[in-house]
Amino acid sequence: MRLPGVDPNRPPPGPFRPDFWRSPLRGRWLTSVLGLILLIGIPIVAITGLISNVAYQPLLGANSIGTNLSPLDLYVFTWPTRPVWLYALTEGLHVTIGLALFPVLLAKLWSVFPRLFEWPPVRSPAHALERISLVLLVGSAMFEFLSGIFVTQFYYPFPFFFTSAHYFGAWVFIGAFGAHVALKFGTMRRGLRTRGDVMEAAGSGAALEPGPVSLTAVSPGPVTMSRRGLLGTVGAGSLLLLVQGAAGAIGGPFRFLSLFGPHTNPGSGPLDFPITETAAAAQITPASVGDAWRLEVVGKQTLRFSREQLLAMPQHTYDLPVACTEGWSTTQRWTGVRLRDLATLAGVHEAATVTSDSVQPAGYVVTLGSEQVADEQSLLALRVNGIDLSLDHGFPARVISPAVPGTHCTKWVSGMQFSPVPA
Amino acid sequence: MIRRFRSLYGASPLHLLVLLACFALAGAGVVGWHLSPGDFRGVLAWFVAALLAHDFVLLPLYSLLDRIAFSRARSEAVAGADEQPAAANSRRRALGIPVSAVPYVRVPALLSALLLITFFPLIARRASAAFEATNGVSEQVYLARWLAVTGVMFALSALAYAFAMRRARQGRDPGAGPRRRGRPWLRPRAGVRSRTPPSQPGSPPAP
Repeated sequence: MRLPGVDPNRPPPGPFRPDFWRSPLRGRWLTSVLGLILLIGIPIVAITGLISNVAYQPLLGANSIGTNLSPLDLYVFTWPTRPVWLYALTEGLHVTIGLALFPVLLAKLWSVFPRLFEWPPVRSPAHALERISLVLLVGSAMFEFLSGIFVTQFYYPFPFFFTSAHYFGAWVFIGAFGAHVALKFGTMRRGLRTRGDVMEAAGSGAALEPGPVSLTAVSPGPVTMSRRGLLGTVGAGSLLLLVQGAAGAIGGPFRFLSLFGPHTNPGSGPLDFPITETAAAAQITPASVGDAWRLEVVGKQTLRFSREQLLAMPQHTYDLPVACTEGWSTTQRWTGVRLRDLATLAGVHEAATVTSDSVQPAGYVVTLGSEQVADEQSLLALRVNGIDLSLDHGFPARVISPAVPGTHCTKWVSGMQFSPVPA
Repeated sequence: MIRRFRSLYGASPLHLLVLLACFALAGAGVVGWHLSPGDFRGVLAWFVAALLAHDFVLLPLYSLLDRIAFSRARSEAVAGADEQPAAANSRRRALGIPVSAVPYVRVPALLSALLLITFFPLIARRASAAFEATNGVSEQVYLARWLAVTGVMFALSALAYAFAMRRARQGRDPGAGPRRRGRPWLRPRAGVRSRTPPSQPGSPPAP
């Protein structure tokens, strides 16, 4: 296939000429090694991301992050309540591995940079279609990584709703990534075998590499760094970012290593654990949660409880993590009333979901599933680590439930509606 | 039939099927964007901007900075490129610099830049008002932390360089060994030469 006005043998000057690319580090082996790391890491990030979507239970109430796209949204299982650290693990992996792969992604794209300026730009319909899929791949990769990294820092420079854009962008990315792996797996395997091949590293590499364009520079510049040096630097960068994610996800004595974790500890002693949102940011005034505060429980009948009345009910204590969607988590000892006891009081004896409302103006209204409500460890917590909740931690009462995303553990609860699940 | 398809399309039918599956899945994602609340054109603009920013700003900028910063080191290396490694090394030693400083500057600089790119919203206080209200801490701490981490990395690198220089000056293993000293993973391997002698058989003709 010939494009009109394009001479395949006479590229225009600049990056379209093979001798424009000077780095002696580029070559099949380097690209293949970086590709292999991404091939192992990206499925972990993609699967944990999709799991996070399941954990949000988008089929319940107003939980959905957008329009459901059956059959892409495969909810083949309901979100379980055990192990209690399940969401802390999956979301911690999602954010931590995603951060650690970012430098690998940048290095991989750098290693194939000359391919962007292939000449002729289109050799055949197959080549044209594959290049379009690469536009989708690189665009969606940068979109997913950058939007995810920005949001873990409370930076929302988007004119769109992040959660749904990140979710549907993931489908673009998964499609383009899958096609790329299918088409390039053999090339990667052959590339990995060129390790230690002295010829490949030097100018003669082009002769070893079949295909129209070589990644190896035909007139390389001087060597100022080895390939192993470059991989070591990329690895150090990965480790640096990995520690940032892991320190927040594991927490405890390691949290001080999370130098760029955007969360903060608003209290001291028993209250010294991180939160995402302060009471001030949520526009919670002491008056709105003062003596006049009542919890409205709606079921077959509607009841109103003061905090003292709630404290007079049977109290239960469990160690449960708050696992933020941003990847960090913290396990604390929560004490409060079981959700299923509240449901029973409201006359709901069968399986039911619960929709929690908050004193917070324009806060999230989230719904927990019947598995969560039935679980003995799902609490309306009134105390933490043996003392009353502080305002920043959700006083007078907050939801805490095993293995659910932190956003579903509503703080400053004002109302709970138990809705029986149609049998 | 398949041969005719190959000659028209340029690859096997499987190639076409894989790409059609990719476009179908991507299409479903785009439809999902369209159906979601928010600005659909904003999503597309972000998608294209992320692509362009990486391919035509970030990568060329890095290459250019690296070329400017280390052009002297390169010209030194060019001068020594045709020599045997030992000869190039002794030439540098004659100048009083037994170990190249380039990796010891480049590695901490790259890592510092990586942190800056990754955490610039916090470091440059982009999320400022919302963040401080949400979190109750000033974002300024992140600028300080980034500078501190950068300083520590350069200090460690300087220490490593000083050790490498000392060991090289003491010349503990003279002869063929100089490349094995210090931190070998930061140096070019013996095989990774910058230029192949033009007479080597099997080389393609120079373009």
